[in-house]
Amino acid sequence: MRALFDLHGLDAVFYKEIRHVARDPATLVLAIAMPLMQLLLFGYAINLKVENIRSAYYSEDRGRLAEQVIDGLKASRGFDIVSVAPSREALMQEIVSGKVHVGFDFPQDFSADVLRGKPSSMQVLIDGSDSAIAQSAYGSAAEIGTALSQRLRSVTGIPALVDVRPRMLFNPTLRSANFLVPGLIGLVMQNITVMLTALSIVGERERGTLDQILVTPVGTTALMLGKIVPYAIVGFLDFLLVLGAMHWVFGVPIAGNLLLLLMLGAGFLLTVLGLGLLISTVARSQMQAMLLAAFILLPSVLLSGMLFERELMPPVMQLVSYTLPLTYFLEILRGIIVRGASLTDLWVPATATVVFGVVVLGLASIRFARTTS
Amino acid sequence: MSELEASLSTRPGGPEPRRLSEPAASRPNAPAIRADKLTKRYGERNVVDGVSFAIARGGIFGFLGPNGSGKSTTIKMLCGLVMPTSGAAQIDGLDVVRDSSEVRRRIGYMAQGFAMYTDLTVDENMEFYARAYELPRERRAERKASVGELTGIKEFLQTRAGVLSGGWQRRLALACALLHDPPIVFLDEPTAGIDPVARRELWDLLFRLAEAGKTFFVTTHYMDEAERCSDVAYIFDGKLIAYGSGDELRHLPDVEQPGAQRYAVDAHEIMATFSALRALPYVKDATIFGREVHVIVDSSVTPQQIARDLHGLAAPEGIKRIEPTLEDVFVALTREYEK
Repeated sequence: MRALFDLHGLDAVFYKEIRHVARDPATLVLAIAMPLMQLLLFGYAINLKVENIRSAYYSEDRGRLAEQVIDGLKASRGFDIVSVAPSREALMQEIVSGKVHVGFDFPQDFSADVLRGKPSSMQVLIDGSDSAIAQSAYGSAAEIGTALSQRLRSVTGIPALVDVRPRMLFNPTLRSANFLVPGLIGLVMQNITVMLTALSIVGERERGTLDQILVTPVGTTALMLGKIVPYAIVGFLDFLLVLGAMHWVFGVPIAGNLLLLLMLGAGFLLTVLGLGLLISTVARSQMQAMLLAAFILLPSVLLSGMLFERELMPPVMQLVSYTLPLTYFLEILRGIIVRGASLTDLWVPATATVVFGVVVLGLASIRFARTTS
Repeated sequence: MSELEASLSTRPGGPEPRRLSEPAASRPNAPAIRADKLTKRYGERNVVDGVSFAIARGGIFGFLGPNGSGKSTTIKMLCGLVMPTSGAAQIDGLDVVRDSSEVRRRIGYMAQGFAMYTDLTVDENMEFYARAYELPRERRAERKASVGELTGIKEFLQTRAGVLSGGWQRRLALACALLHDPPIVFLDEPTAGIDPVARRELWDLLFRLAEAGKTFFVTTHYMDEAERCSDVAYIFDGKLIAYGSGDELRHLPDVEQPGAQRYAVDAHEIMATFSALRALPYVKDATIFGREVHVIVDSSVTPQQIARDLHGLAAPEGIKRIEPTLEDVFVALTREYEK
């Protein structure tokens, strides 16, 4: 019977793992660079300012100001006016049907109010179902309002005459770019670490080298640490790298305590290393390991709240989201980075992250020791 | 370098021979390997079913059987890689389950296929296993040099294991299995898939090591290799159906049937001869071996009579009395078992 805790031969395993890395530096570079690349790709894809958003307008304005605004819109790159609605209901319908994403609604006295020196308002209806489009539309609409007001002020001398009122349809709690990038950090850390750990161990099983090690006095704990520590280091380097990219490339500042963020990040790493280890005890081939990893990772993408608001999910899915470690780490990431939250504010997700780390890695170690003894 | 390897080494001189200290639990009189009703059940099937044997020290024990008959599972139970469902096994008198950590230090194991790290060099692979067996630093260098010399792999120390030829890969794996100078070495299909010259060289190496006192437990399905083993066992469908020296097996009653005689019939038209022989009333069994048909006939029958009954398909001089080969033995035993 093999002891469940046995550190014999740890130096042998480290020796070997370091040689593997030294022999294949390309993989190491890839392992470290991949999360950065994912972050950049995802980050840009999601944050890219959308231009030429298909739009429609409806105007009751009896004056000529609305027309001037529309001419301005047509000339701008932000919006592409594709139709003129015959009524307010028709304008709404065009958005509901997906023909346009934005509707401009000018009231009866839009021109008259401005000419009389009264503040006048126009409404911008925005389809919130696509957050990237909605975000851009929101920004562009606000810009138009400001520009228009400035132009009118230079003529009339009265500030802020035109009040542009964006109204988000379907998804009123639209998030800012600062919300998505921190979320991506957790995901890219999880992807690379789970995959690398699982593949490394299953690869040894597949090639028969695992049996060849298990007939030596090398202990299961030593074998496990030898396999995990290199990927823990890679995972943590990745964490630092993507945090840097977030700061310098996407210009998202870290509002809260960096040290707290790093510590809780290390806690999350324990969980994902444990997941990789757990997969390696179940999967018989590298292909199986990849599929299992994908099986675990996909719900994380969809349900953790990274892309979609958890509050808007059906109750069952919300329950599922509570079982995902990434859900809690996301709260920590967004809490510390965006809102500058402290440990007191985040004690629930922080506790969950640490508990997950200890439990998952603990279970995985026991299972690993069992399957190898 | 151990005494036995010092005597084998072609290089004169060298460092002072050193013995590994004998651990207290060692029982020199116990058989090298003993299995006692060893059984492994997977689901509903007994992959290994009540296998018992005792193997003396020194020599090469050939463990034969078709694919899927339980060879690898047996070897894995003996090495502590698979837990037996029931039964027990001892290595050097030590229980493979209870004393597994002590057992691991006394056995070498060469897994099926090539289980070295292809991305590491020959030297790095040996260094890893030397460390895995917790050899002290000075001894690591000494042992690597010793097994490198013995297997000849020292010529390729800086070569990546993945680019070695099949034969050299096996030598590397054998070198790694011998690093800690184990008295008992398990080799799972060591010659599968390598060329005939490399195969012969590997066997010559095994003979030299066995002569010097190591015990080898080798699985194979090459019958010519079986003939070269000091003892053989034949496992079929998880059950051990024969076990002993080659001569003992050749004279088992199921093989050497009383009142029966074994002849090799040299024939030109092999299929016609085979059919004709099987049709003869006194032929108990017939098997084709290349250009010969081996037959078992009543001992009262003479070669002349067989030649006459074959109507010119074979000459009387082409019919010779033979001893059964081990292949004959296994064919006979398998048929008997299936009845």
